[in-house]
Amino acid sequence: MAQSLVTEAAAPIAAPRRPTRIRAFWQPFVESRMGPIGLGILILVALAAIFAPVISPEGPFALGGPRLAAPGTDGHILGTDHLGRDILAQIVYGARVSLTIGLVAASISLVVGVLIGSIAGYCGGWVDILLSRLTDMFLIIPAFFLIIVVVATLGSGIGYVMVVIGLTAWPTSARLMRAQALSLRERTFVQALRALGESGPRILVRHIIPNGIQPLIANASLDIAAAILIEAGLSFIGLGDPNKATWGRMIFDGRTTITTAWWASVLPGVAIIVTVLGFYLVGDGISYVLNPRSRRVRG
Amino acid sequence: MGRYISRQLTSIIPTILLSIVINFFLLRAAPGDPARVMAGRDNPTEEQIAAIRAELGLDQPLPVQFWRYVQELAQGNLGQSIAFKQPVFDLIMERMPATLLLTLTSAVIALTVGTLLGAIAAQRAGGPLDSTLSFGNYALFAIPSFWLGLVMIVIFSSKLGWLPTAGMRNVRADYTGWRDTLDVIQHMILPVATLALVQIPIYFRITRASVLQQQREDYVTTFRATGMPQPRVFRRYALRNALLPTVTVFGLGLGFVFTGAALVEIVFAWPGIGRLTLDAVFRRDYPLLLGVYLVLAIAVSIAVLLTDIVYALLDPRIRLR
Repeated sequence: MAQSLVTEAAAPIAAPRRPTRIRAFWQPFVESRMGPIGLGILILVALAAIFAPVISPEGPFALGGPRLAAPGTDGHILGTDHLGRDILAQIVYGARVSLTIGLVAASISLVVGVLIGSIAGYCGGWVDILLSRLTDMFLIIPAFFLIIVVVATLGSGIGYVMVVIGLTAWPTSARLMRAQALSLRERTFVQALRALGESGPRILVRHIIPNGIQPLIANASLDIAAAILIEAGLSFIGLGDPNKATWGRMIFDGRTTITTAWWASVLPGVAIIVTVLGFYLVGDGISYVLNPRSRRVRG
Repeated sequence: MGRYISRQLTSIIPTILLSIVINFFLLRAAPGDPARVMAGRDNPTEEQIAAIRAELGLDQPLPVQFWRYVQELAQGNLGQSIAFKQPVFDLIMERMPATLLLTLTSAVIALTVGTLLGAIAAQRAGGPLDSTLSFGNYALFAIPSFWLGLVMIVIFSSKLGWLPTAGMRNVRADYTGWRDTLDVIQHMILPVATLALVQIPIYFRITRASVLQQQREDYVTTFRATGMPQPRVFRRYALRNALLPTVTVFGLGLGFVFTGAALVEIVFAWPGIGRLTLDAVFRRDYPLLLGVYLVLAIAVSIAVLLTDIVYALLDPRIRLR
């Protein structure tokens, strides 16, 4: 801490160093207070997911243990479930599933949202009306029910779950991107590009999207959190991937014994909350960095 | 104002029509065959399945099926449920009151508490109370509703024995009159608390952001410069203007509550739309599903419309646009 103070004070005298992009991001991110906490949480969750085989070499489905052992007994730090499977093992393997689903689903929704939003905003006219109506409608459709239908019919493999969540979560990104494209379209540099004969798709991909994508990045963090919650909900009603240890599935399995062995379903819930909270806090940190108006209030 | 309302009203019609089309084809595009589900598990012959399919009109080409569906809809007929063998409309109306009771009560509670906390946090922006509330808000938002419901049951029903575990009424006691009302209220407390808690963050966030924004406006600075006491500026002017976005979110939020309520209804065995929808999904009951979706789409559109109207009443600038 003391050292950083010295360098901060000495910096302007030595050389007016231009802050690098990383520093320009990192300083306000730390200032946001929420961001670093979230990042810390996510790093822990990611480490647990990566080192799952080290933490529990026997895997999440090993049946050998005593049934419904309380946390701390027989070397089961977090106890066992009704089939004698180790809760900790299932939680760390579940982290792999949740993180994968969150990242892939959010990426899909980001790509779809960016494409639809930027085309609507940039093209305007009837294209905009049509795409905006479509977006509104997807906002109104109760997405969770739609996801249930698709997963219940197509099968509950993790792949389907990710794609379906991604394909229903895009409207928010689309709305944000549309607003960005609408304002960027009128900017001088875009007008100039058009006057120079640059093609529409090229302006869109090379200029509109890269310049307007910032607000969507904070939103993507929320999308990841939402996807994790949706998957948990799906697993909870019995539509999770039967071949994967997932947190929602653990809650589902444990709920019949919840009065006698609370840990089997309460602890995976805690894992969900902590992970989702991590993504929310990181999202908060990012939007703090991107939105200088909010900085003055907090700073 | 009348013109404003009629304009808003006409704008939701295409949205609902489009959702009818999309719902129909999306459901049919998904594989799974209600006839096969109906035929049961003991090895039905292909002829039996084909017969059921013909009976349900599922052997027709999709556009024909769609046309029939639209014709029926135009006459106000939502069709017959395949699984329950009852009119879809009756099924939905039977369950609707229970769901509305749950969703509206919890939404109003969440709106009140969330707005209050949001305003408090905004007034102390950057301080320890604000940080604590904001962090707690994120934590609350991260909780899966069904998990919270389970934990509530464990604590308040199993361990403490204060409240009933499930259902909407005590089926063994045949209460009437005010005793029945009391019974329902007792059963409501846990599911409503669960749903309200998970919704509070929505209102907290929007109120906090919006109050902060109002406090930066020039008119607030002007009032303060004239020497008007700070609490008065806040209550009379800043807070009022800040509440506008909250109203909008309330309308959109109702759609969210329906979905959130479905899982909570399952946890508490609440006899609402959520359970009905899930049954419809698992049994591939297309008519029932389409009916539920349509009713939801209309309900959400109306909620959005009502909030738009309230918004216009509160903010004259909107009407003039």
